[in-house]
Amino acid sequence: MIPASFDYIAAKSLDEAISLLATHKDDAKILAGGHSLLPAMKLRLMQPKVLIDLGRIKELSYIKEEAGQLRIGAMTTHFQVETSDLLRRVCPLLPETATQLGDMQVRNKGTIGGSVAHSDPAADWPAAILALDAEIVATSARGDRVIKATSFFVEMLTTALEPGEILREIRIPGGKGKSGQAYVKVRHPASGFAVVGVAVNLAADGGKCQSAGVGITGVSPKAYRAANVESGLKGNALDAKTLSAAAAHAADGVDINSDLYASAEYRKQLATVYTRRALEIAASRLK
Amino acid sequence: MKIEGTQKIDAPRALMFAALIDPAVLQKCIPGCEQMEKTGENQYSAKLTAGVGPVKGVFNATVSLEDIIAPEHYKLVVEGKGQPGFVKGSGELNLTDAGSATDIQYTGEVNVGGLIASVGQRMIQATANMLAGRFFKSLESEMKAQAKLPADS
Amino acid sequence: MAEKTVGKPIKRTEDPRLIQGLAHYVDDIRLPDTLHAVFLRSIYAHARIKSIDTTAAQKLPGVVAVYTGKDVAKIGPVPCAAALPDLKVPDHRALASTKVYFVGHPVAVVVAESKSAARDAVDLIEVDYQELPVALDEEKAADAKSPVIHEQFGTNVAYKLTAGEGDIEAALKSADQVIKQRILHKRLAPIAMETRGVLARYYPGEQELTLWTSTQIPHLCRTQVAIMLGMPENKLRLITPEVGGGFGSKLNVYAEEALMGWISMQLNRPVKWIEGRRENMQATIHGRGQTGYIEIGFKKDGTLTGLRYNVFADMGSYFQLLTPAIPTLTGLMLSGCYKIPAIQINVTGVFTNKMSTDAYRGAGRPEATYVVERALDLVAAELKKDPVEVRRKNFPQPNEFPFKTATGLFYDSGNYQGALDKALKMADYTKLRQDQQTARKEGRLMGIGVSTYVEICALGPSAAMPAGGWESATVRVEPTGKVTVLTGASPHGQGEETSFAQIAADELGVGVNDVTVIHGDTAIVQYGIGTFGSRGLAVGGTAVYLAIQKLKDKAGKIAAHLLQVDASTISFAEGKFTSSAAAGKQITIQEVTLAAHVAKSLPEDMEPGLAATSFFEPKNFTFPFGTHIAVVEINKETGEIDFQRYVAVDDCGKQINPMLVEGQIHGGIVQSMGQALYEEVVYDDQGQLITGTLMDYALPKAIMIPHLELGSTETPSPVNPLGAKGVGEAGTIGATPAIVSAIVDALAPYGVRHLDMPLKPEVLWQIINKKSAGAA
Repeated sequence: MIPASFDYIAAKSLDEAISLLATHKDDAKILAGGHSLLPAMKLRLMQPKVLIDLGRIKELSYIKEEAGQLRIGAMTTHFQVETSDLLRRVCPLLPETATQLGDMQVRNKGTIGGSVAHSDPAADWPAAILALDAEIVATSARGDRVIKATSFFVEMLTTALEPGEILREIRIPGGKGKSGQAYVKVRHPASGFAVVGVAVNLAADGGKCQSAGVGITGVSPKAYRAANVESGLKGNALDAKTLSAAAAHAADGVDINSDLYASAEYRKQLATVYTRRALEIAASRLK
Repeated sequence: MKIEGTQKIDAPRALMFAALIDPAVLQKCIPGCEQMEKTGENQYSAKLTAGVGPVKGVFNATVSLEDIIAPEHYKLVVEGKGQPGFVKGSGELNLTDAGSATDIQYTGEVNVGGLIASVGQRMIQATANMLAGRFFKSLESEMKAQAKLPADS
Repeated sequence: MAEKTVGKPIKRTEDPRLIQGLAHYVDDIRLPDTLHAVFLRSIYAHARIKSIDTTAAQKLPGVVAVYTGKDVAKIGPVPCAAALPDLKVPDHRALASTKVYFVGHPVAVVVAESKSAARDAVDLIEVDYQELPVALDEEKAADAKSPVIHEQFGTNVAYKLTAGEGDIEAALKSADQVIKQRILHKRLAPIAMETRGVLARYYPGEQELTLWTSTQIPHLCRTQVAIMLGMPENKLRLITPEVGGGFGSKLNVYAEEALMGWISMQLNRPVKWIEGRRENMQATIHGRGQTGYIEIGFKKDGTLTGLRYNVFADMGSYFQLLTPAIPTLTGLMLSGCYKIPAIQINVTGVFTNKMSTDAYRGAGRPEATYVVERALDLVAAELKKDPVEVRRKNFPQPNEFPFKTATGLFYDSGNYQGALDKALKMADYTKLRQDQQTARKEGRLMGIGVSTYVEICALGPSAAMPAGGWESATVRVEPTGKVTVLTGASPHGQGEETSFAQIAADELGVGVNDVTVIHGDTAIVQYGIGTFGSRGLAVGGTAVYLAIQKLKDKAGKIAAHLLQVDASTISFAEGKFTSSAAAGKQITIQEVTLAAHVAKSLPEDMEPGLAATSFFEPKNFTFPFGTHIAVVEINKETGEIDFQRYVAVDDCGKQINPMLVEGQIHGGIVQSMGQALYEEVVYDDQGQLITGTLMDYALPKAIMIPHLELGSTETPSPVNPLGAKGVGEAGTIGATPAIVSAIVDALAPYGVRHLDMPLKPEVLWQIINKKSAGAA
């Protein structure tokens, strides 16, 4: 558990971090909490020569409403999301996800930007980010680039971030009308990661589902939006039968992970059941 | 750990098979294969940089082609060792005609050891599937490229 | 006058330093000029070492030395204290030389100025391995066709042993029915919070070696390491600072302990090795590891006639201190808390390409209890009787103690009905069964599991132990009246500093805070055995008690002398000596102590000072017992388990500190839940340890544990004057069968009568899903 030697630089500003990354390129990794990166380094699975720490850049830690969007700085800790009054009021899915993430130490030090950029196939955030139709703002010497969540998660541990880019901000579109949200997960008994994690963001009008965002993590090598679940909901009354029928499509069209804890067959079952539960909770919150 | 599947590639079987035993093609298609040198009849030494996302390891590998029955069957064996441990993969490839295309049916066994085995349990299967996927994707584009060549020339 | 504390739940005096991070574990001990050691361990389960090239590693700046197997050949073999007939004992050396036998087998050690340099150098060592076929499953490895691990033996069978009394064949023949069941006890990792660690410092002038190591047995470890190093035992000082848990995994002598001593002697500098968690998973002993076959014979009315258990016990590739002896404890406890006229165990100890198994909390006894309790449930299911009724039918009565079993033991005391009745009442068992009927009608899967257990503790009489079963204590009253207790039973989390102080305080009429308990330094404390086998209090605590009696006897004589009365008239209570011959006169223990030390006026021929030592030799083991009841409901859609109740009534004899008792029971039940539901050391079919970190090996967490409803009964042990029996392992012994039983009971509508642990939700879901699909 001793990492290979590396240089550590605490960037004082985002501009400095961008320029350090431009200088050190592939030799560098961004440290944004470190709860995935440092264990990987201690195991020597990753041996970056330079760590650029964003931890002291205060300007990257915020939760605010701006231009009709919710904007969350990359270095906002899970705990800050969990305890944000603003989020609890306007986007309770995020605090609900944060509460179920890791343990107290992870939530105190780990950041939403770090987790999303790392894109662990069983991480919690990607499910919520997808369900909320969020945008990810990547920044580099070339300026900002806005990436839709649906095209951000490329494959296992791989995102759409390009060399030189730093994940700067996550933007959540403002809700229209009534929304009902929920995050439920099957916690892996050892790691606490999501064996299956389902985030749901529903909007309804006159008893009919107007829009549905269903993000699922843990099931496949990358988090995904369950399109067939969503289409099974849209335009329909959100009764038990509809929810259950839609949930049956939770794992449609994806490669399903299989590991020591859960075979693909069982994971698919969990995905179905937990999607239904998430839908039921979200639907009940519409009222 | 087992991997298996069938891949249809739009190329005639004879051409497909020739490509699959061509070290130049294999080097392009084996994910992360940086160099490949012949060490014997159907045997090569190779350097692989394999992994997922930022988690990568360098492996010194041997690649051998066994049980060749052209143009329908052979066994591809890749064994690599490196700082993160070792990887041993062997796959039986069976080629059948699918009209003008070829179906490649593969069944393989992948074993890993050392660090990757002791920490990678939850991602190993998905990684193996992903690497197999990349292999066939590269193969597909290689065959496309090859198909273009005679037309262009 | 201090208040009496024995029997009261006083807080642990150890805790403030632990909670504040002020305690000192091995890694907290920093010596100047310390070198750091990091191991290169095998990544293969079975391979021949063709060559090792350490050149590049040696050249790395900061590296002081690199040692391989041939360099350390002078270090004697890692000891195994178990003596069994015809036991095949492999030559277990500090480092591998020609072959590696398991993933994690140490191949080389790098010693460097910094941990980082040592770790970097490990990556530069090149080992050329020739892989060999592996033998992994204990049952298959025993087969003549299996690859052989130790070629010189020509087989993987390390030993075969048959034990038990009564004519088993006749007993099974006389039964109305015999049920057979294959049963698995998977390998578990003990996972002490503090991994192992060793700091060694050699003083070349004095030719003395000091070893700080995280162990449960400082003195035994000193003796064995001295033998391994070929040095005089009294030139080796072994210090066990704070120990962050052991669960049996530190009841051992490891290669690394001798190796660090040897390296320090080579280099004349301190050297430290702290085990990493992945190393801890690979190279610290595992527990359990049995594949067994039960045969239980019984009459139609539920009376048991005989029990046979044929078991393949997984040894791993080498023996550690007690490896082959663990299954013999399983054999001893196969009678459970029942009258079984004939019992036979047939053990086949088998080498496998895995880390050694050895004592893990319970050590062979959880296996026995699990076997018996599963067997009783099978009998009840077959006879369609309530499992409680079948148990009660076979209990010995309280007046039948000492109770002789067909495994050759004499249970000291017991009231199994008493504990059972109390637990049934706490759980409201009758109502639970009614609720279950309702649940089943509603299609819900509710299950109730009952386990009645007895365990063997206070190990133990020396005649039955490999290296002494007594324990030592020295009690000194210092000139200022403060009391110092030196115990040979070095604790590793049991709270002995508190419980031993309670005994001393009450016996001497001083406050608990006036007593300091010292342990774990072989240069200070008289020889002792250690803390394991639920013996700390019942054996070590008794030694403290007996030393105090000797000390009080002397103090009484001094008091009589000072009061100018005859010693036979002296009595002692609440810290004061009084005499029936001199009403109104008294003298405190502090005054007597001072007199003993200044020695101006002592009885003729009496030696000054006030200290006494006792080496307590117990005449028998103790046999704590109890009843655990688990109530679960299983989700049909996911197989997930919801604990609705957990009730435990444990009888550990006289309780010195009920809070410590509860803590032990809590911890034990939690570890049992781990075994029943989550934990399993998994080697893949190549022998790779794939539950290599705590990301994959699931330890139970607080949020996974239901509220535990605890009760107790107190049946004193006649074996020691404290009446205490021991409680360190009760939870891991009594709880596992109750949990499994509850889950099996919940799935009874699907025809399930037995399932092997760990009972992961997927296993349950597959049963429910397949059966539902089949029915549809």
